[in-house]
Amino acid sequence: MLEIKSLCASINGTEILKGLNLSIKAGEVHAIMGPNGTGKSTLASVLAGKEDYEVTSGEISFDGKNLLELSVEDRAREGVFLAFQYPVEIPGVSNVNFLKTAMNEIREHRGLPALSAKEFLTLVKEKSALVELDASLASRAVNEGFSGGEKKRNEIFQMAMLEPKLAILDETDSGLDIDALRTVAQGVNTLKTGQNATLVITHYQRLLEYIVPDFVHVLFDGRIVKTGGKELALELEDKGYDWVKA
Amino acid sequence: MMGNLIAFREQLGDTRLAMPEPLSREAKDGIERLASFPTTRDEAWKYTRLARVAALQLSPLAHYQQPEPSECSETIDVIFEPHGWFCAAPVEGLIIESAGNLAPEDWQACTTCGHVQYLNTLAAQGGACLTIKAGYEIPKPIRIIHRAKGENFAMVLHHQINVEPHSKVQFELLYEGQGQEAYANILVDFFIAESAHVHVDKWQNTQGTHYGFYNERIYQERHSTFCLHTLTVNTHFTRNDVEVFSQGEAAHTKLYGVFLGGENHLIDNHTFVHHMAPNGSSDENYRGVMKGKAAGVFNGKVKVYQHAQKINAFQSNRNLLLSSAASINAKPELEIYADDVKCSHGSTTGQLDALALFYLQARGISKEKATEMLVGAFCAEVVESVQSKHIQRAFAAYFSS
Repeated sequence: MLEIKSLCASINGTEILKGLNLSIKAGEVHAIMGPNGTGKSTLASVLAGKEDYEVTSGEISFDGKNLLELSVEDRAREGVFLAFQYPVEIPGVSNVNFLKTAMNEIREHRGLPALSAKEFLTLVKEKSALVELDASLASRAVNEGFSGGEKKRNEIFQMAMLEPKLAILDETDSGLDIDALRTVAQGVNTLKTGQNATLVITHYQRLLEYIVPDFVHVLFDGRIVKTGGKELALELEDKGYDWVKA
Repeated sequence: MMGNLIAFREQLGDTRLAMPEPLSREAKDGIERLASFPTTRDEAWKYTRLARVAALQLSPLAHYQQPEPSECSETIDVIFEPHGWFCAAPVEGLIIESAGNLAPEDWQACTTCGHVQYLNTLAAQGGACLTIKAGYEIPKPIRIIHRAKGENFAMVLHHQINVEPHSKVQFELLYEGQGQEAYANILVDFFIAESAHVHVDKWQNTQGTHYGFYNERIYQERHSTFCLHTLTVNTHFTRNDVEVFSQGEAAHTKLYGVFLGGENHLIDNHTFVHHMAPNGSSDENYRGVMKGKAAGVFNGKVKVYQHAQKINAFQSNRNLLLSSAASINAKPELEIYADDVKCSHGSTTGQLDALALFYLQARGISKEKATEMLVGAFCAEVVESVQSKHIQRAFAAYFSS
């Protein structure tokens, strides 16, 4: 589904990713771990198409398409979803209006008819229950005045609504208490099918107790330096990152 | 080099209104004294060049006939068109007559200043005189509709609105139509008596190279309230002057506006609130969004007179620039001569929040649509308090086009 080959990317002239390779197939859950400042969030931003980052070399193909040639919105329409580490507050734009617009633009891209108001509301009810998101939040402005936990639930709620092929969870565990973490993880697990894939970016092993990865990669200095199964996460927790650096 | 104001005034023709002699004389002297259009060296026209206006070749719009009633279920309509004007069927508590029928002593305005006002006094072709009788609440909004079409026309109108004590009324002022190299100079005087309440929604969406000068003068007596929303979209050239004389105690004023410019449009909003009596308030909130090579102006002046204690005056102006060639000039002016007042002002000009834009796009929303949503949200605070459903719909329709 996703093939990243020798990816190099920089921001303001500073190279962050230095030849990253990663391959994700449908049905898989991958985790990327690593200390702060090694390029984890850069990878997430580059995949979503954030303009601040410049891809200097390498390739990313997504379902056979050259992802780097697609605009931010076209990547989303093709099925890439980034759950933001810091979800953005947008005063004046209601969550419902925002999601409805997003869903209908994505559906149009896929040749599907727009949802009726009733179909949409039924989905909102069903999917917000999945992450135990208070239904009243759906009618408020996007993320405005949401607690940290509510913002993260809202990200997963959006993911549930948009049904992406590839979900990238960027530090979704940060700022979550254990109950919220469990709910969010449960939501992600429920959404898992044989046709979609998940990329979990985290620097703690904690989240991986709930979202069990098929592969764990260690990102260090812009490259993946070690890949293993779920037990690698435990080993890292035990020995620290210095162990892989060596 | 700057356009000759005397020649410009002559091509507008003489007024058909019987203005009081002192006002006419003041205007005539004023034009002669100025002799030419103001330049950008003139403080009131610092950001608005008038060379293109001065060069217009104009002839007055055809004669305005007497009003004829017209039916409309949602509103009470007063319609101005080149060939005549029409008004709605009679409503209890409301008197509509042609401004042409007013005797000089029926005009309440006691002074006039500035070239726009002088030209209006000397050349007004017509107007409506509306009176809301004391104690009446007019059940439906009164719409005053201006929609002239054509080339090289000059539409110069002067309306007078008398709102008697303890009455309540809602107005919609619509400026639409299409003009090529056309000129509009429309003055509306509101005389708001004690404990009367007036809400005005003003919609400006003229097409073509239409140069519009719109002037509202509001005279407020004690315990009256006045609320104005000015929505300006897509007009080639618009200058709004709103001047409030808050002369009675505890009078309250709200002036809100949204102005959206594109291409090479110019939209200039000037407000001037005179707090002349104690315990009053004014609240201003203007939002500007400029794209293309558009230029926007917000100049908000507040003057608190010496005996006008316990005044609350608040002014906010926020602007968005959507392109590097667009510009905004924002200037608050406070003149305070009383010592126990609360006055504040704030102005910001910035670009769209890049992170918010990215967030929306990352959910599959196109950049154009995302921009539209963010601009809509930016304007929402003002647009939501517009009472006219018609204008809210017109604004939404402009937005989604």
